[in-house]
Amino acid sequence: MDPLSPRVNSATRNPKMLSTSPETARLRKLQLVGILCGFGAGAWLGAAEAPTKLVKLGVSPLVVSLLMVVGVFLARWSFPALIRGTGQMRNDIRQAPHLIVWGILAGCLWAVANTLTIFAIRDIGLSIAFPLWNINSLLGIFWGYLLFNELRDAGKLRWLSVLGGALLMFTGATLLAVASSAQSPAAHPFRGIAAALAAGVLWGTMYVPYRKAYLTGMNPLSFIAFFTIGELGMMLTLALLYGGGPDALFHQLELAEPVLFWLMLGGFVWVIGDLFQQYAAKYIGISRGIPLSNTNQLWGLLWGILVFGELRGLSPSLYAQVIGGSLLMAAGAGAIALSSVGAKEHARWKQAAEREAQRYKVDAAYVQAALSGRDAVTNASSATSTRNPSDSDARPAPQSSRSWLDYLLVIAATTIFITLTVLARAPNLSLNWPALVALAAAMVIFLLAGAVALWKTTRFN
Amino acid sequence: MAEKSATQKSAGIWTSILTDAHFWVPVIVLIAGLLVLQWIR
Repeated sequence: MDPLSPRVNSATRNPKMLSTSPETARLRKLQLVGILCGFGAGAWLGAAEAPTKLVKLGVSPLVVSLLMVVGVFLARWSFPALIRGTGQMRNDIRQAPHLIVWGILAGCLWAVANTLTIFAIRDIGLSIAFPLWNINSLLGIFWGYLLFNELRDAGKLRWLSVLGGALLMFTGATLLAVASSAQSPAAHPFRGIAAALAAGVLWGTMYVPYRKAYLTGMNPLSFIAFFTIGELGMMLTLALLYGGGPDALFHQLELAEPVLFWLMLGGFVWVIGDLFQQYAAKYIGISRGIPLSNTNQLWGLLWGILVFGELRGLSPSLYAQVIGGSLLMAAGAGAIALSSVGAKEHARWKQAAEREAQRYKVDAAYVQAALSGRDAVTNASSATSTRNPSDSDARPAPQSSRSWLDYLLVIAATTIFITLTVLARAPNLSLNWPALVALAAAMVIFLLAGAVALWKTTRFN
Repeated sequence: MAEKSATQKSAGIWTSILTDAHFWVPVIVLIAGLLVLQWIR
């Protein structure tokens, strides 16, 4: 039995104990890390669409989506593999093998949702489709509350912050979407609306497996490995089914050869954003993590306007919509970021985690360590040893070293990326380079700040 | 003996997954999403 467990379990029953223990300080730290990760996710996920704007060939949107997913898959096995080796992943699987199913399921949900958005944009245009699928954050709040005890015992003020913030963001997103798209094709409005709503429901529900995994203790880097397998498998199936079979797909892939690099670069950027999103879901829950990640629309718009010169020559009213929408989104994100998880609510999270541990017979020490951002496997395996709990509060346990397999995977993934870089054709577009450098610098700052905070506080656990 | 124990453990995991209401929420949503996709394309 972990020496921490009796204390944690009593705190679950009596939340007041948490407010006077070192757990409170740890909880605050983890929340700050989670908020930073949520904003980082927004910046990187928003930038992930930028490379795809360089693609002007007549490649089917399904193939564009498939190639991005291939990029995501490869990127998972590039530098993230160095952060935490495959050995650690095997340990996670040994502790909670059922989470493989959840990871693959989440990847399948993402792939179907992404494909639906392609059809929604085709039928009703981005301006209507985007706000419709943005309901995912409201659905995330609902699932978080219903299934994982999020926002329970949180108090009226926190409810107001989260729900009000999400609604502000939704309104802001609607304004931005209307302003950023002048097109309004409505060949099949009903089908388009159904597709956009279904995409929102799928994406909102995708966070159920995310939260499930983190309540049970899986590391985000392990989870994302299974996620990308599900995503690639489902996307390939959809591309084959709806793309006209293997021959037609192969022909499309040949056509896309000069732009493979840009699409896979989009996938690479997306993986970093998604990793941040996973850590946000882990440390601040899905009810707060998803709305913060949804600031990606704001970043996407910044890339479009500043780097690619979109929305040039707009009317003053449209500019007002863009500015108003952006301010609303920022205000909503701020409200959610300020709504911290209190001791009472965190105790309810722990109850949900205990339910998972009991149902799937996962080591309680593993689950509790993971919830506290510590090396779950080391904590679980050393649970029987005598240890001063305060030591583990201050210093997360060390990680095991990487194996030859990790280096082989990194070399293989990097070689593919370098080969694609050589094959890539420079885009024939006028770009605003100073703006591109400024936005890229902002992303690097988020990456460094997030990575340092995660390393210092959790050692990427 | 060890093989039998591994098989029992695997069966136990699947029973836990399939009897977990949380599992069926995303599964049903996924199936509904695939049906919508089939309808709109």
